[in-house]
Amino acid sequence: MFKNYQRIKFSLLPGTLISLTLLTFAFVLFYTLYTSQENLVFTQIEPRVWLLLKFTVYQAFLSTLFSLVVGMLLAWSLAHQAKFRGRSWLVALFSSSLVLPTLIVVFGLITVLGRNGWVNQVSLYLFDYSFGAYLYGLGGILVAHVYLNASFASRSLLHSFESIPKEKYKLAKSLNFTTFQRFMYVEWPVLKPTLLSIASTIFLLCFTSFAIVLVLGGSPAYNTLEVAIYEAVKLDFDIAMALKLALIQLGLTTLLVVFSANFRTHISNLKTATQAIAWEEKREVKYLQRGIIFLFTLFFILPLFAIVVDGLGADFSKILQEKLFIKSFFTSMGLATLSSIITLLFAILLSDAKRNLSLRYRLEDLPFSKLFNIVLSFSGNLYLAIPSLIMGLGFFLLSQRYEAPLALWSTVALLTANVLMSLPFAQSVLAPAMQRTAQRYDRLVFSLNLTKIQRWVYVEYPYLKSSLGYVFALAFCFSLGDLGMIALFGSDEFSTLPWYLYQLMGSYRSSDASGVALILLVITLSAFIFLPKLFGGNHVKD
Amino acid sequence: MLKISHLEFTHKDAKHSYTYTMNLEEKEIVGILGESGSGKSTFLDLVAGFSTSSSGSIELDTQVLTQMSVEKRPITILFQSHNLFEHLTVQKNVLLGVSKVLKENIEDVNKVQGILKEVGLEEYEHTQVSKLSGGQQQRVALARVLIRREPILLLDEPFSGLDIATRLEMLDLVQTITIENKIHTIMVTHDIEDCKRIANHVYKMQNNTLVEQ
Repeated sequence: MFKNYQRIKFSLLPGTLISLTLLTFAFVLFYTLYTSQENLVFTQIEPRVWLLLKFTVYQAFLSTLFSLVVGMLLAWSLAHQAKFRGRSWLVALFSSSLVLPTLIVVFGLITVLGRNGWVNQVSLYLFDYSFGAYLYGLGGILVAHVYLNASFASRSLLHSFESIPKEKYKLAKSLNFTTFQRFMYVEWPVLKPTLLSIASTIFLLCFTSFAIVLVLGGSPAYNTLEVAIYEAVKLDFDIAMALKLALIQLGLTTLLVVFSANFRTHISNLKTATQAIAWEEKREVKYLQRGIIFLFTLFFILPLFAIVVDGLGADFSKILQEKLFIKSFFTSMGLATLSSIITLLFAILLSDAKRNLSLRYRLEDLPFSKLFNIVLSFSGNLYLAIPSLIMGLGFFLLSQRYEAPLALWSTVALLTANVLMSLPFAQSVLAPAMQRTAQRYDRLVFSLNLTKIQRWVYVEYPYLKSSLGYVFALAFCFSLGDLGMIALFGSDEFSTLPWYLYQLMGSYRSSDASGVALILLVITLSAFIFLPKLFGGNHVKD
Repeated sequence: MLKISHLEFTHKDAKHSYTYTMNLEEKEIVGILGESGSGKSTFLDLVAGFSTSSSGSIELDTQVLTQMSVEKRPITILFQSHNLFEHLTVQKNVLLGVSKVLKENIEDVNKVQGILKEVGLEEYEHTQVSKLSGGQQQRVALARVLIRREPILLLDEPFSGLDIATRLEMLDLVQTITIENKIHTIMVTHDIEDCKRIANHVYKMQNNTLVEQ
């Protein structure tokens, strides 16, 4: 056992080194931001900044509220309508909202709901009435946030619904509960904790939302802190203002992360329970649930369908020959591949160190093991406190201090941002899975005296491969679709697909933009579906 | 008398088909034994109305239960676990047996207090059930059986997770409740000792058919 103890103690090292590197990076970034402006006045916050802050919180609050209400209704309907054909495909499709590039979603929503969108055209044709440009402003921001987050929330909540023991439903049925009583006594107590953690995650995501507000915000009245930072750096060259906004946002997001404490996103892969709940719904409730599923499916699928329809009309022979497209494509693919490999490696090592510190028969009795564990978790969740634009500003200032080719700085900045962005999700999937494997097989592995490599080959990999594949695909898609960091570093020399698409949209090359949006959508969905298969399909069942 | 005649259930895959027949007087307990997956719990699901039989009938005295919906059947069911709402107190869990709105009607509250005394839980009335031991939780579930006063009680291995002493105590409590309240009790179990202790009749699942031993 002593030999194993030493071995485990040594295996803390890689995770600890990664954690230290990440924390040092955060410190350097913070220090760079803080020391870059000598005359930074914090005692005075201008009315404009207050307005920005107010709107940022307001839109995040409303987005969270609507996303949760819609997500809850959808999850409730899906949980009780478990028998219709194509349900598992639908649930898998809703799960993909997590990885859909936000710019694609915005593009699709504009095509359907925009001034010249499908809805307005149909309304003009049928009733000679147009709803106008309602999509630009708070309305559009909320619609896009609900689109992305309600489906994410519904997936997590559906998982909670499915975790309710079937006996509870049988008991409620035999006690003659109504649908409302069933919800209050059986379902709500299980959903409540999940709801709180999802709410805090969605609020953080909407608080730091960038691409959606940038494109749909419309006017400065609908700017958030994140977009104002971007405008201060990129358009006004007002670094002092950008820094002030960045530090305010940094302070607030750190506070939010600390308050929400346990970032557990309850991410699970695409599988869903097939066992139906033993409760035949009343006819009116059944129609209500089916109606909710139908309406949300329409809301979710139409923008994606619009991208496909519009995209198919694009001139691909022209797009595929554009030098900037080719450059953007290879940069995006290269960065996505690299960052998903690094994310996977970091997540494995951090999760391994974490399980060493939280299992009784491993190193839980080490002094300060709990504190150490918290530090490991915090370093993996840094992105929640330091969103990519703030990180970008830090890199921007560093690139001015230390001379190197801009392409090199850009690559490092994008890779760092992509890895940090994926790590919280990667850890929330891998850490519990690795902990379970250790709990189950440690004794056997120790008694057989297997080496680290043998352990991976015979125990860890067969049980973790489905989670590893899912994490790899998530990281790949996150990286592929991000428009945060590239918004600061993007140029004709250094471009990614989302940045290229944004440029096309800005220059009103709608046909080319449709084509690029379709290419990005196809790559993202294919990566999300097929990359996990590289890891060898289904994992060994628990 | 509870009369179950040629009750038949066929699985969706059509590979398994079970047949059940039994008669049971009030104040009597039937023990049902069988391997895992032999169709014991399916039988309880059929009697309770969670599953539908393809043929056969269930009658209680003159009342035909076969076509009745779950909530209308005069039945209380107890599982091995998940019999309670953990976030509610003992009192509210028992009260749910008679009132779904959980309004504290003096008459009902007095009734609950009396029943909690019967099952030895009077001092836990306002305790959240998640803070009770496994045995105490099953007592709360039995208290709800008592307050509902339904003539049929179905037990799906309700005490198999408990230690021996508590388990025997709970079995005796079931017997007392059955006799004093004139209940027809059907108990599915793995353990023949449970049957020996309290069952008036023992049945076993053999070749997908319920057979009296």
